[in-house]
Amino acid sequence: MKSISLYQDKNTVIHRIDPLSKILYILVAIIVPFLLASQIASAAFILVSIIILLMGKSLKRTVPMLGFSGLILITVVIIQGIFRPDNVTPALVLGSVVFYKEGLLFALGISLNVINILMSFSILVLTTKPSDMVETFVRMGLSPKLGYVLSSVFQIIPQMTETMATITDAQRSRGMETEGNLTTRVKAFFPLISPVVMNSLITTKERAIALEVRGFDSKQKKTFLTEVKKTRSEKVIKIVLAAVLILSLIGRVLIWLR
Amino acid sequence: MAKIVVEHLKYRYPLTDELALKDISFTIEPGEFIGIIGENNAGKSTLCQALVGIIPNFYKGAYGGKVFIDDLEVAKHSISEVCRKVGIVFQNPFNQVTGSKLTVYEEIAFGLENMGLSRTEMMERIDYSLKLLDIYQYKDRNPFDLSGGQMQRMAIASIIAMRPEVIILDEPTSQLDPQGSEEVFRAVQSLSQEGISILMVEHKMEKIAAYSDRVMLLKDGKMVAFDTPQKVFSLENLEQYGVNAPAFTRICKKLGIKNQKNGCYPVTLEEAEGAINLLKNGGIADE
Repeated sequence: MKSISLYQDKNTVIHRIDPLSKILYILVAIIVPFLLASQIASAAFILVSIIILLMGKSLKRTVPMLGFSGLILITVVIIQGIFRPDNVTPALVLGSVVFYKEGLLFALGISLNVINILMSFSILVLTTKPSDMVETFVRMGLSPKLGYVLSSVFQIIPQMTETMATITDAQRSRGMETEGNLTTRVKAFFPLISPVVMNSLITTKERAIALEVRGFDSKQKKTFLTEVKKTRSEKVIKIVLAAVLILSLIGRVLIWLR
Repeated sequence: MAKIVVEHLKYRYPLTDELALKDISFTIEPGEFIGIIGENNAGKSTLCQALVGIIPNFYKGAYGGKVFIDDLEVAKHSISEVCRKVGIVFQNPFNQVTGSKLTVYEEIAFGLENMGLSRTEMMERIDYSLKLLDIYQYKDRNPFDLSGGQMQRMAIASIIAMRPEVIILDEPTSQLDPQGSEEVFRAVQSLSQEGISILMVEHKMEKIAAYSDRVMLLKDGKMVAFDTPQKVFSLENLEQYGVNAPAFTRICKKLGIKNQKNGCYPVTLEEAEGAINLLKNGGIADE
């Protein structure tokens, strides 16, 4: 079954880390450079993220994401580099187009921030099983119903796509034109809607009953099949992350006082 | 173990005029294996859903009468309370997959997590039910990647793991091959021997005849007969109710061979064989 989540099952240290630590890392990676207002901190976190992703054997999967946001970042560089109001010092002259130093530095700051956020989220998204992530939230007090919605999306949507493919095939086998130019395709889309929608409505109703008879609505406090691993290294990771956060907070206050 | 008492149960679906269940009353003892038969739209599934409380808790509509599981009145409790005593497996296994779990093992744990069981208890129950239904080797697969038959067994296993006192199966073998459905019947029978009451809707009459203690025949929402398989399948006007007797019964009916002990037509191969042997020996019992 094809999956819509970006997660890939690999057996590495990073995959085994508690999702909570990863969420904490995202917070730290975003807040610390902001507190210190430092591009070096952003760059440092990007480097750390890259190392973590390398350890998780998932660095390659960030490329499409970076490629997409890279496109946007390039426009930022071009626009800020040429048109930023406080541009004074020319840095690069390409024919009649002049890139200014101030604008380029500003664009660099934005780019570093975006890449940093992207990379730190990638660690969570690429190396954590969606169901584990949701379970962590439910353990922390998220309603199990909302948790179910979040985690079922990852399976139900691909299932619906599959149903749609089956219905298309069935219609095609009865002689309906589904391929060809744009008008044929648009025409082929309409007869697809009602069976797909009806089908999902019926499926949803039946699934709701099936969930009910398995005690989904139970008032009983839920327990979990998977065990929370409370290892010492997990603790160390969390303490280190918290320490970094606190230190940067102190650093910020010190900068202020000066 | 639980005893089921149904008193004058009537039900009408919303937006319909005719009653789907018309004044049904019966009692089922603990550990009984009940086969429910009848043509399409006879009310079999509706009755099953009424026993778990899906009717009237999930489907509204007009409801009358009472359903008791021991002293628990189904209509007055939520489905999540009733489901600790009564488990139900539906026809379409695909729609019973929760969709929130990534492996068969976790899928079966879903109901147990909701019941608030401890981890060790869960694992013990899951292993037991996976092995009972012979799907232990698929425990790490994605539930949606299973074949229809495997999915159906998983649906049964996930209910069995909850250890209800009554299990209702609504055409649970529709996607299984003959061997697979035989295995399901055996597994269910062993549960009934442990004292769990079983109610099974099924169209495979030979199987119903072989495994049921009693057979309930429904027609247009009414209970026509509720008796031993021999008596129900020996009914003269069985075809009128849209039910075909097992092949052995039909053959014996045509040949006029009756089981001398109870005066009914044989319903299983063994019974037919016994009756025919008796005839061959000139009416003297075979030792």
